[in-house]
Amino acid sequence: MARGPQPRGANRGALLLAAAALAAALAFPTVASTYYIRLLTGIFMFGALASAWNLIGGYAGYPDFGGAAFVGIGAYTTGILMVRAHVPFAAALPAGGLLAIVAAVAMGSVLLRLRGHYFAIATLGFVIVLQQVASNLDITGGGTGMNLPVARTFTAFYYWMLALLVLAVTAGIVLPRSRVGYAIAAIRENQDAAQVLGIEPLPYKIVAYAASAVFFGLAGGIYASWFTFIDPPTVFNVDFTIQAIVMAVFGGPGTAFGPLVGAIVLKSLDTVLTNISVFFHDIFFGALVVLLVIFAPRGLAELFRAPGGIAAAIRAEVRGQRI
Amino acid sequence: MPLLLGRGVTKVFSRLIALDRIDVSIEQGEIVGLIGPNGAGKSTLVNTITGMEPLTEGSFEFEGRALHGLRPAAIARLGLARTFQIAQPLRNMTVRQNVAVPSLFRAGPAAGVAAALREADATLEAVGLAPKADLPARALTTPDLRRLELAKALALRPRLMLLDEVMAGLTPAEVDAEMAMLRRVSAGGVALLVIEHVLRAVMGLSHRVIVLHHGRKIADGPPGQVTRDPDVIRAYLGTPSPPGSAPRR
Repeated sequence: MARGPQPRGANRGALLLAAAALAAALAFPTVASTYYIRLLTGIFMFGALASAWNLIGGYAGYPDFGGAAFVGIGAYTTGILMVRAHVPFAAALPAGGLLAIVAAVAMGSVLLRLRGHYFAIATLGFVIVLQQVASNLDITGGGTGMNLPVARTFTAFYYWMLALLVLAVTAGIVLPRSRVGYAIAAIRENQDAAQVLGIEPLPYKIVAYAASAVFFGLAGGIYASWFTFIDPPTVFNVDFTIQAIVMAVFGGPGTAFGPLVGAIVLKSLDTVLTNISVFFHDIFFGALVVLLVIFAPRGLAELFRAPGGIAAAIRAEVRGQRI
Repeated sequence: MPLLLGRGVTKVFSRLIALDRIDVSIEQGEIVGLIGPNGAGKSTLVNTITGMEPLTEGSFEFEGRALHGLRPAAIARLGLARTFQIAQPLRNMTVRQNVAVPSLFRAGPAAGVAAALREADATLEAVGLAPKADLPARALTTPDLRRLELAKALALRPRLMLLDEVMAGLTPAEVDAEMAMLRRVSAGGVALLVIEHVLRAVMGLSHRVIVLHHGRKIADGPPGQVTRDPDVIRAYLGTPSPPGSAPRR
């Protein structure tokens, strides 16, 4: 949902820019080295995760910390089908996405009755429970993990992640303009008011949660096949959720392109800082996140939209005025 | 058959009896005022009609249909709209988007988002908010927020509107404008239950006035009759005389 009036020209400009970027991304592997293809595959993955988190965390305003649960479900479903049943990757992957939806509907119909912090804590618990379950089952290989078949080319994963990213960003464009998106926005703004306007909240919250979960699940499936080894701590890994949240919040939660911009900026910065100094990179990165939370609590998008631009927004913040 | 019929409506909060065996009825197109001192149970009555609070005892029927067990959203879709005592805008959505929401979710909804937004513009025109359609709702002033509450309720195309203190905080001139608007709404065939502390407005608007006091209905009749009712006068001005002392005039 556009949080306020926006000129139409700006939307058209953003779409043209996105189309040009997509064309460049499609052509990129023909000219780039393996290192950069791998780097971009990672950026696409986190762009998709941040955009997926934005559907429940940004548009619906539900602070989900359980995205990694669906990464794990997608990864293990894909892995088990490929290893135990010899299903090809392209067929195993959608099964992972489907199971993520089923899990989101089942968990969401319970957890989405909770509000705010309680929901956040419950979803965090969900990840930990599933990690323990995966560690103690035979079919998952338990704590020793699981080796997936090695693919002949890694460029394929670049395109799989790019496709996933395009779908996740498209969902973020389409949703707020739809009838369901209006319900989700109204629930985010004021659940009691939404109810007296004819909206039964729970089903719409479940839709937002399942839409978020399917992208986390698909990302997990592609990730498993790309890295060829999974074990419970690497896929049921809260770090996936935290990074997705930081990127979405950094870029602008509740906007279609903000989470992607957040992923590109933070992942690139992370890579540059790691190359400069492995020791200092965590410190720089942490300081940056703190500064951003202070100066742009609602994301980069807010700074760009502020009257007078970024510089004015920072001056206003230093003087103690809210924008 | 009355539009809304409540029989023996009772609501108990732990030990407090907020509503005590109240019978109410509202006819098609009628304007009914609901008054009473603070804590009389006016807002609780609205909350129980709209399904926000379950009844302890008694029942409501709307157009002959029992409301028992229906959730607030389902009751709203039957054509029963309410406004809140404290305006509840969807703050970060535009004024136009606010009004499009009920259009999309009432029974017989608008054909799509574009149709709902067009319809919202017409509703905003009717309540005088059209120039502010593109503002986020959080930027509105108090009188404008009242108009937005009314516009959202109208967009549900209700048969009955429950208006919880829509005139609180308005200047006398704004009260006059609001009364004129409610008369226009009523002329369109919508019944109104008007909860109001601004007595001039309730008495001027209502065909009939219900008075609540300590959860009991102490009067129900035409405004002129209710204002002369000794029980009502006592409820509003108090009973200063302790037992045994001479009644004061």
